[in-house]
Amino acid sequence: MDIKDVTFSYDKKSTILHGIDSSIETGKVTTIIGPNGCGKSTLLGVLSNHYNPQSGEVVLDGKALTDFKPKELAKRLAVVHQQNNAPSDMTVEKLTAYGRIPYKSLFSSSTKEDEEAVEWALASTNLLDKRKSPIDQLSGGQLQRVWIAMALTQQTPYLFLDEPTTYLDIYYQYELLDLVRSLNKQHGISIVMVLHDINQAIRYSDTIIAMKDGKIAAKGAPDDIITAESIKAIYGVDVIVKHDEQAGMYIVPVGI
Amino acid sequence: MSWMNKKFFSFIIVIALLIIVFVQSALTGSIQVTQFELIRGLLTGTDDNVAIIKDLRLPRILIAVVAGAALSVAGVLLQAVMRNPLADPGIIGVSAGASFMSIVLVAFFPTLFFFVPLFAFIGGAIAFLLVYSLSWKSGLDPLRMILIGIAINALFTGLSQAIGFSGGGLTQSMSQVTTSNLTMKKWDDVHVIALYGSIGIVLSFFVFKWCNYLALEDKTAKSLGVNVNLARFVIALIAVLLASVATAIAGMFAFVGLLVPHIGRTLVGNDHKVLIPFSALAGALLILLADTLGRVLIAPNEIPASIIVAVIGGPFLIFMLRKSDRIYGY
Repeated sequence: MDIKDVTFSYDKKSTILHGIDSSIETGKVTTIIGPNGCGKSTLLGVLSNHYNPQSGEVVLDGKALTDFKPKELAKRLAVVHQQNNAPSDMTVEKLTAYGRIPYKSLFSSSTKEDEEAVEWALASTNLLDKRKSPIDQLSGGQLQRVWIAMALTQQTPYLFLDEPTTYLDIYYQYELLDLVRSLNKQHGISIVMVLHDINQAIRYSDTIIAMKDGKIAAKGAPDDIITAESIKAIYGVDVIVKHDEQAGMYIVPVGI
Repeated sequence: MSWMNKKFFSFIIVIALLIIVFVQSALTGSIQVTQFELIRGLLTGTDDNVAIIKDLRLPRILIAVVAGAALSVAGVLLQAVMRNPLADPGIIGVSAGASFMSIVLVAFFPTLFFFVPLFAFIGGAIAFLLVYSLSWKSGLDPLRMILIGIAINALFTGLSQAIGFSGGGLTQSMSQVTTSNLTMKKWDDVHVIALYGSIGIVLSFFVFKWCNYLALEDKTAKSLGVNVNLARFVIALIAVLLASVATAIAGMFAFVGLLVPHIGRTLVGNDHKVLIPFSALAGALLILLADTLGRVLIAPNEIPASIIVAVIGGPFLIFMLRKSDRIYGY
């Protein structure tokens, strides 16, 4: 996936993304980090074709995102958004099956392939025993896994997640990140996500894209780009970068 | 699976009640006949009493049934399009717009009476487009939508009344279009409402999946490849058709499109595959029951059906809201 000189603004007054040039590697976990308002969620929105760039383009499989038909794109690229909503009496199974929409017309009924995809997604997200539960009986962590299950049911090579750990407590945060990692390792799904926590980004990413003021400030493997200097430059926070045999690399913020 | 039974029994009970009220409504009134006489009279055409019932009572029964179904389904569809459980054609001005255009037509071009449903549809569509476009600000804010809807409703209601006051001799012919009284309905009216009403209701059965998808966030639906704008447009078009034709033939009924879907959500859930047909049946039952009660309670005088709907509907809605805390499903 190639990002070619992408510029984007919501209105004419302020530009959110300035000439972004980059690429997303297939089969890897890529995490976008950066301070509030740096444009990281907007970049994810452009990469998933929710926003059309004013100039430049995003190319997937040799074709600009804007040239894909909606369903065609939904077979290649699934998105778990930050805010989600569904009727409270809907069952886990039914909501997960919505991931098959790109494969169906408005009038077609469910096929064996649909059922297998739902089965696989529920198994991958450890939700098989919850399949008949209405979603208002789930915990926050379970509910977030349902949205991931729905995205998995689309059976796409790319999975995008916009701040998937927000609103979750620490247990569910790591449960979710472990799930994302296993989806990448076991099924080869390319992951692109936005995270707030730098240590989580370091731990779970192959590549980090660090943004500031609508531009890419640094891009590379966590070990290469996370330094005390780069974090100071991007976030304005003083950190000590530690290396530990058990924990690997991590940062400790010490002040501003 | 107790909820499965609940859905099933809700359907059975509503269908049974609809049949009972339908038959009772046909038998009861200033002319009384037995079931046997009614059936024999309808088949042979030799009973004078039955002939009167067929000309006067049956049309109004059928119109009540179709109008109730149409308004309720219109409510369900508008709630899906606007992602707002308070959307009701009578509240957000669709019915008022339809009524206004009907009045304009009848007042100024009385010879074009046949086109009332078409003009009602145009009026309803204008009102809906106004509400929708004015309340859109990078998304639909439910509260702003309701407030703008109330304003549009007031505007069209006011315009209709203004024509009424300036019309003088026109008032007589207009009141036929505006009041929710189901008296004096003819078989011609039945043909019109049955044709457009059943087209709308059948179409609504085909878009139930779209209605379900719109309950997701727009972003989520788009990520699934749903053409959200097209879905909204088509569903809204069907809703406006249903609300307008019901208003043009049966008059203004506020509250039905709000009340019936709410009851439906508590009894059969939020899945539009079930909610749309259930609302059609329950809406038909509600207006038919209201009209029948209005006809017999203070005979020979009549209470308009819309007043009865408000009187039995209001407390019932409160009862249902108190009983269940997950009515909205959003």
